[in-house]
Amino acid sequence: MRKFLAVIKREYVQRVRTRMFVAATVLGPLVMVLFAVVPPYITGIKAGGPTRIAVVDESGKLYERFRDSLVGSRDEDDEEQNSLSLQANSNQWERMNRTAQLSEQGFAVEPVEVDGKSLEEIKFQLNERVRKGDLDVYVVIPKDILTTGKAEFYGRNTGDVFTRDTVESRLSNAVREERLAEERVPQNVLNELNRRVSLTSTRISERGEEKDSGGGFYVVFAFGFLIYLTTVLYGQMVLGAVIEEKETRIAEILFSSVRSFPLMMGKLIGVSLVALTQLAIWGLAFVLFTIFGVGMLAAQGVTISLPHIPAMMFVYLGLYFLLGYFIYATIYALVGSMVTTVQEGGQLALPVTLLLVAGFCLAFPVIRSPNSSLAFWASMFPFFAPITMLVRIVTETPPLWQIVLSLLIGFGTVVLLIWLTSRIYRVGMLMYGKKASIPEVLRWVRQA
Amino acid sequence: MEETKPTLVLEHVTKSFGEFTAVSDLSLEVRPGRVFGLIGPNGAGKTTTIRMIVNLTVADSGRIELFGQPLSLALQDRIGYLPEERGLYKKMKVGEQLRFFAELKGLRGKEAVARIDRWLAKLQLADWKEKRTRELSKGMQQKVQFITAVIHDPDLVILDEPFSGLDPVNVDLMKETILDQKARGKTIILSTHQMEIAEMLCDDVCMIDRSRKVLDGRLRQIRRSFARNAVALQFEGGDSLLNDPALVANVHQVGEDIEVLLAPAANPQTLLKRLVDSGATVTRFELVEPSLHDIFIEKVREVA
Repeated sequence: MRKFLAVIKREYVQRVRTRMFVAATVLGPLVMVLFAVVPPYITGIKAGGPTRIAVVDESGKLYERFRDSLVGSRDEDDEEQNSLSLQANSNQWERMNRTAQLSEQGFAVEPVEVDGKSLEEIKFQLNERVRKGDLDVYVVIPKDILTTGKAEFYGRNTGDVFTRDTVESRLSNAVREERLAEERVPQNVLNELNRRVSLTSTRISERGEEKDSGGGFYVVFAFGFLIYLTTVLYGQMVLGAVIEEKETRIAEILFSSVRSFPLMMGKLIGVSLVALTQLAIWGLAFVLFTIFGVGMLAAQGVTISLPHIPAMMFVYLGLYFLLGYFIYATIYALVGSMVTTVQEGGQLALPVTLLLVAGFCLAFPVIRSPNSSLAFWASMFPFFAPITMLVRIVTETPPLWQIVLSLLIGFGTVVLLIWLTSRIYRVGMLMYGKKASIPEVLRWVRQA
Repeated sequence: MEETKPTLVLEHVTKSFGEFTAVSDLSLEVRPGRVFGLIGPNGAGKTTTIRMIVNLTVADSGRIELFGQPLSLALQDRIGYLPEERGLYKKMKVGEQLRFFAELKGLRGKEAVARIDRWLAKLQLADWKEKRTRELSKGMQQKVQFITAVIHDPDLVILDEPFSGLDPVNVDLMKETILDQKARGKTIILSTHQMEIAEMLCDDVCMIDRSRKVLDGRLRQIRRSFARNAVALQFEGGDSLLNDPALVANVHQVGEDIEVLLAPAANPQTLLKRLVDSGATVTRFELVEPSLHDIFIEKVREVA
């Protein structure tokens, strides 16, 4: 027992003191924020200057409205959106669209004079300009657009869906306004008609109605990502540690002094304590920020409404982290004991890591429909459960029996994996010179 | 010879890896308070034998008894083991590393700290206590590894090639330390392929070649029993004399020193007389016991 504690202590103390640990603790939340904010931002960025758009207005009456709609309407939208923004609480897609709009550098619109030229001729000239790069896109508005509702969009990069969608919706606006104007609807009524509606969402759960600002997605995403990140990070740490001991033959001294089971468990537990320490620091930082940071920022005029996270969620986070960690770290330890070099370890561990990535990817459909049968089975399968079940709990807490069942299946799997690994670990760790083959490993399991 | 109970007994121990037999029907006895040399060329089976004693591999057949009991993990705390392949945590500080290994052997607290300091001072490593292991030279790392083998004051110390990679100063330091352990009543098993070292340190030896024991016993007796007409010589002139097969069976020359094994029919007196008669100036003429090296070569030839 004393030796077991010595192993745990070494793993823990040696790792917590490293610069690596400090850096990961500080950078972790930053990375997470980056992951949540940057991808939608990047997809929304329109590189380069404003989109140069030429308009061939065969109807002769839509150009002005369309131009105003493209260039001017941004301001109207933005005003409304400004009143919403800075509350970190709109849902992902809305935010993504808004980021796209905000970062868009707008349009440079030019009319194309028809001057009696045929449409073919005009298009030929415009095509030439697009090819030369003088122009990005052009739109042909046919005479009968008000009745048919059809127009043509030409451009080199029709894959730029943001531009295409914007042009489409702005042209629709222009057409709608024109139609209404023909019905003699006054401008001020038009403006009133166009005012946007914003939704206030309310979450219904077992505890009744809860004010939900829509920040749910971020919380869910953060929890799922946190589990994924820590499991990968600390699982790989176990892999590296096992290979180090094998490669440097420290294993010789270890196994001649201590039984293999406490050695293996000591390593797994020691590293898990490091991870829990890190999670605790993050949790504490979050709580402190909620209590003090928000108030301080509010005093300076910046309001942040942080989503309300019930304390129970943190308990589940801890539980499912432990589940995920012990499942994957045990497999990583097994892999580490079978290989001879870090490179080989990386190769053999790849399928394991992919399994973990698959679980993370499954989190997205699960967030969208947390009560589907896919979500149910994904959260019962022990290799996915740590991420998918946690995501379900945070999104729309499933019945308790499902949570208990997934934990039972999960920790049952952990026991099985540890049993299996402990039968292989010692032989693997003391075998040098070559990678263990699968048949060999199976023989060890039977013989041990 | 049977005055005390042996520290370690191996009886008909065999170990194979697939087709390859690493140790074949090996029996030996290591008596307390003595330095026991396990000698033989690389790949003879020395390390496999040691790995069985320290509980890293299990013998296919045969019996191993340690301190009068069958092998068990509990007994391992009374053994100190310096593996042939040195292994230390590269990133750990020397002091912490030693502390960890001491704890693994059941030692702890102030006692461990005091012993670590004592050993570091003894092996001239005191200034390196707070340094990370990877900053140390190979020789220094080896001395640290040696400390891990003796920190818990074991009754039996097993050293696998303890001198490889050490400079002459450290070789002397290591020899001194080993003899010091012996003086304190500890039993030492020394595995090496360097015969000269075994010759200097060992009381008993067991020679292994290609998985089999070729010879064992007290070093002094072995050498005496092999002492035939071997002469160490230094002389000038009359070299051709040594080419006479009726007189000389084998010549082994290192610099000025010549070691001559006389032909069975000849004797030292005849050699000396013939040398003087031939006009050579003899500066050294000494009857010697054969070296372990010679004995080993002869034994191996015999077996083959």
